[in-house]
Amino acid sequence: MIKKLSVIIYWAILIALLALFFTNDFGLTDIRKTSIIVAVGVDTQDGEVQVTAQLAVPQPSESGNNIQYTQVQGSGLTVADALNEINSKTGFYPKLLFCKLILIGEECQKDELFKVLSCFYRRNYSELTALVAMCQGRASDMLAMPATVNPETSSAILQVLSDELEKSANVSYANLKDIAETNYSKSAACYMPYIEANKPGTSESGGGDSIGGDPAGGSGSGGSSGSSGGGSGESSGGGSGGSQSEGSGSGSSDTGGGQEQVEFTARRTAFFSNGKFAGILDETQAFALDILKNSIRLAVLPFEVDGINYTLGMKNANGGIKLKVDKGVPRLTLSFKAKAQIQGKRMTLDPHDVPFDDTVKQSVLEGAKKEIEKRFSDLVKVCAETDCDLLGARNQLYKYNNKYFDAFNEDLLTRMEVKYEIDIQSIN
Amino acid sequence: MVTLEKNIKGIKDVLTSQDILVFEFQSSEGKRFAAIYADGIADKQLLGELVVKPLREVKKDAKLDEVKMLLASPEVKDCKKIKDGIAEVSDGNAVLFVDGEKDFFIIGLKNPPGRSVAEPPTQITLKGPREGFTEDIKVNLGLVRKRLKSDKLHIKMLKSGQRSDTAVAMIYLDDVVQKDLPEDVEKRILNNEIDLIPDSSYIAQFISKKPKSLFKRNGTSEKPDIFCAKICEGRVGLIVDGSPIALTVPYILTEDLQAAEDYYAVSYRSTIIRILRVLSLVVGMFLPAMYISAQLFKIQLIPFQLLLKISSSISSLPLSPSVEMFLTLFVLEVLNEASIRMPKYVGLALSVVGALVLGDTAVKAGIISTPAIIIIAFSAICLYTTPDLVETTATLRWILLIVSGSIGPFGIVLFTAFIICYLVTEQSYGAPLLAPFAPVVKSDLYDSMVKANMNKLNDRPRSYVTRDKVRFKAK
Amino acid sequence: MKICTRQICFIMLAYTVVSKILVYPTLLSSLCGRDLWFPALISFAVQAMVVWAVSYLCSRTDKTLFQLIEGTLGNICARIIYGLFGLFFILGTLMPLSEQKLYVHAIFYDTVPSLLVFLPFFFFSVYAASKKLTNIGRSADICLPIFVLSLVFIFIMSLMEVHWDNFLPALKTPVKTLFGSSLATTYLFFEPCWLLMFMGHFKYKKWDAAKITASYIGGGLIVLFFLFVFYGIYGEIAVSRQFAVSKISLFFPAIDMLGRIDLVALYILEIAMLFALVLNIQLAVHCFVKCTGWENRNALSVIVNGLLLAFIIIFDNKYNDLSIVFGKWMWIVFLLFATVIPLLGWTMKRRAK
Repeated sequence: MIKKLSVIIYWAILIALLALFFTNDFGLTDIRKTSIIVAVGVDTQDGEVQVTAQLAVPQPSESGNNIQYTQVQGSGLTVADALNEINSKTGFYPKLLFCKLILIGEECQKDELFKVLSCFYRRNYSELTALVAMCQGRASDMLAMPATVNPETSSAILQVLSDELEKSANVSYANLKDIAETNYSKSAACYMPYIEANKPGTSESGGGDSIGGDPAGGSGSGGSSGSSGGGSGESSGGGSGGSQSEGSGSGSSDTGGGQEQVEFTARRTAFFSNGKFAGILDETQAFALDILKNSIRLAVLPFEVDGINYTLGMKNANGGIKLKVDKGVPRLTLSFKAKAQIQGKRMTLDPHDVPFDDTVKQSVLEGAKKEIEKRFSDLVKVCAETDCDLLGARNQLYKYNNKYFDAFNEDLLTRMEVKYEIDIQSIN
Repeated sequence: MVTLEKNIKGIKDVLTSQDILVFEFQSSEGKRFAAIYADGIADKQLLGELVVKPLREVKKDAKLDEVKMLLASPEVKDCKKIKDGIAEVSDGNAVLFVDGEKDFFIIGLKNPPGRSVAEPPTQITLKGPREGFTEDIKVNLGLVRKRLKSDKLHIKMLKSGQRSDTAVAMIYLDDVVQKDLPEDVEKRILNNEIDLIPDSSYIAQFISKKPKSLFKRNGTSEKPDIFCAKICEGRVGLIVDGSPIALTVPYILTEDLQAAEDYYAVSYRSTIIRILRVLSLVVGMFLPAMYISAQLFKIQLIPFQLLLKISSSISSLPLSPSVEMFLTLFVLEVLNEASIRMPKYVGLALSVVGALVLGDTAVKAGIISTPAIIIIAFSAICLYTTPDLVETTATLRWILLIVSGSIGPFGIVLFTAFIICYLVTEQSYGAPLLAPFAPVVKSDLYDSMVKANMNKLNDRPRSYVTRDKVRFKAK
Repeated sequence: MKICTRQICFIMLAYTVVSKILVYPTLLSSLCGRDLWFPALISFAVQAMVVWAVSYLCSRTDKTLFQLIEGTLGNICARIIYGLFGLFFILGTLMPLSEQKLYVHAIFYDTVPSLLVFLPFFFFSVYAASKKLTNIGRSADICLPIFVLSLVFIFIMSLMEVHWDNFLPALKTPVKTLFGSSLATTYLFFEPCWLLMFMGHFKYKKWDAAKITASYIGGGLIVLFFLFVFYGIYGEIAVSRQFAVSKISLFFPAIDMLGRIDLVALYILEIAMLFALVLNIQLAVHCFVKCTGWENRNALSVIVNGLLLAFIIIFDNKYNDLSIVFGKWMWIVFLLFATVIPLLGWTMKRRAK
């Protein structure tokens, strides 16, 4: 009896499995019902979220090399709502698991950051490794711009956000996890790269060259191209918000018309305090932040000493941020250590001096130190002015000097003494 | 007084076939003899040289003993019963009757047609001996004897098959093998009644305690060097007349992951090859299943760039991923089966048709995708790294495919757990199938996934019982 | 003897870990934040003492628990207690089973699948639970290397992303919360009960108690290390990261190139998880065999699994409610069966060895 029963059970299982196997319909979305989203642009307008998904659309091909990228837009009250609209438009279920880039449009500056991003933190919805960046103008416009370096826009943007560039202090790399982790820490501050589109040949993100207009205002960008003067303060000031959105609006309409190829840069950094947009760091401030926060393989520092322009390559660079409460005074130490080598110098070189030219003279090293210190102090100033703890001082206070946390937390950024320990040595 | 004719009649009444020949001759002094043998399987030339020629000198009144003394054949047996004579004639030997004598002689003249000793096609080696078993049990026993000259080597001849009366040689080392094992094996062989034993696989089913199981319970070998090594490890070997594949028990699964060459090469190399073999086995079984699971249920299993390529290849296919893979595997199995069965010259054409025409055209016609063909082809190649397990692993590949296409990757994991759960308590004559991993037998681990140096392999396998534990001592 | 000390050690090490790396880390981080390691330390310390007490008891008698109870309280009592243990093992399976179902849905399927895909688990469970203790031991032999390889692989992929200062400042959580968290997660600790069931079924040799306890402590240390890695990676957002083991290796640089290779390790680890989960069911059947005297393990396995299946169907999508009930109320039952009763083993009449 039991034997007969077990035979019946075996057969029933086999038939059920075969039926499932051949009918192939479990209410699941398999590879052919799925659209693979490689990048997402998020814009907000009139309380609505507009999501632009860049989809990889595989075309029939024997070799499997035929991929086309297309953009589909959807809007709704939330990101998920907008994605649902994309689903209804394309007939494909949009999966964010392969989404490597989340681009936030300038309009989102008005909103709380996590109102926009929260959807991406839902369980198993998207991976926390996706890179996040804010862009000049509308994200949908930027994703539609043809790039010079890569036919696919999102790949071109990802190229300027690569970890290689992070290791050369050229971009403030941030993924979903980094942003959430820093935002929910005691510092409640986070940052992300600010993407700009430029006409080919105009490498800087300066005013008129920028296709989408200059969101940070002309003064800010002016400061970034040369030394970080007072302009940087303005660029990152809280008051720049209004003009940025206007700028972006006009910028996007400019771009929409002509499909001219562009180059992307991400040398500036958008930063947020308590989940709200706080400003944009210019190139030099972003550089200072990057060398303090990341492990740098080779950073390039341009500066001037005695009227000569130098470009110094800094290897084995180590930055550090330390906060200590000493005799009732919070002291922040920003340290930086590197080995330096001259990479470029704007002056005629005597051929006999070529073998010795790599060696960095003490005066040049001093000039480099001054330049870095200046950049650090600019950064600290921005942090204090916007009360945005980008350097994680509050976090350090909480973790390492916990007993002073309640006492100093409120005005820490303006109260703390800042010390710079910069040690740059010549390689040769 | 028994006449020669009466004796001949006694045999011919039973063996009525026309290939049973009777050769009557007499000595120079007129003593009459008759030799009866089966045409085609007895050696006539030897009959003339070793029997007829020496008996020319027999005197008219010579007794049976005197006749025997003159026979030049090294294999002469006295026999009294006609029934035994009939069996020997059927077996290929000759019966020699002497006029006036009731008793007779059996002359070992068996020489059935067969191939000569050659390298077995399924166990080719670059290093090491190349001899392989043939279909002739005598040749095979000779190949074993050649390697094991020990006086402790026991060869027990059994008969199986009611009508075929097939000889089965049970071979073991008396001082090494577990005490009751030979009796147990013998009992299992003799307890089965069947008409014909065409191959050792029949005997394999008799000696298996779970013949319905997907996993075999005996080792197989076509090479005498491997066979002898297993005998030395305390196993019982079985050579079946008419089959070039010898059997051994007890059996553990790791046996099939070992190749003869592992023992002739440097141990590091052997270890790498063994790990490679295990990986191939796993990949061969699981790859098609994982591939369709990834497509249907968990796209993240596929790297992004590869996913784009796969999506592109399958985007216009009329079949679902699971049916596509099912079809591709089906074609592979058909080609595999046909290429073995078909005559060689047709087989060559078939492989061209299968590989080029079918594959290429199917891809071009958009019926099957290129990745599916690559995956199935690679899976097939992987499984053949352990040819002795192909029957089992190829079946498991089908099951895994069905399970993954219906339940997904969880089905694959669940089925694997089920197989482990089943195998851990399965045994072959007291040897756990998954030994030395479950249960862990430390000393045997040195000759499992890894192949240690000979100095580490001092002991015989401990996964099953042996009497003499030590096999190697460095002096 | 059906099982050997080595296999018990493997069970104590591997099964302890795999049953505590799914929801336990997330749960603890929601209860105690960065001090999540402390309640785990308390739980493991208490359980390790009980494990030592039970394994030391094994050195003092060669009787099984059933024989011990029978010798002291009589056959009826022994049957009743075994019946209660059977029910306890079923109760102990409920939460891990629900966790496992959610975990399977999350890591094996992209889109949320129906309950149906988890149900084949019960075919495996019915089969495995009908097997005897030998099967449990040998399965552990296979599971240990599987567990070690896959977990090492996952750890290697994770360690680069750990920020060790995420645990600072340490122990700022109120003591009451720390101990409360330990109690609220008691429903995941029943290792001493496993050992009770193995009592008398293995041949005790010198130092076995130390070996078994050391294995359990080893398992505990791995869990603690896992908690450090998990919280070290996610910090404040650890609360939102369910199924910790599937989340810690996401940031390994090679994943960009090779895809989610960590999933392969997770799938392999899942085999060990399935055996760990089924162990409770196997022991429940073992208890009911002793309790009823009915040797038909197949039928008992079907009944036990039928109950669990009904539970899974009824409480589908109610995991959060269940975890509240288990966290708030069930700790008493678990404390009684996994801590108090094992210690009471010492009060039983035991024949000197």
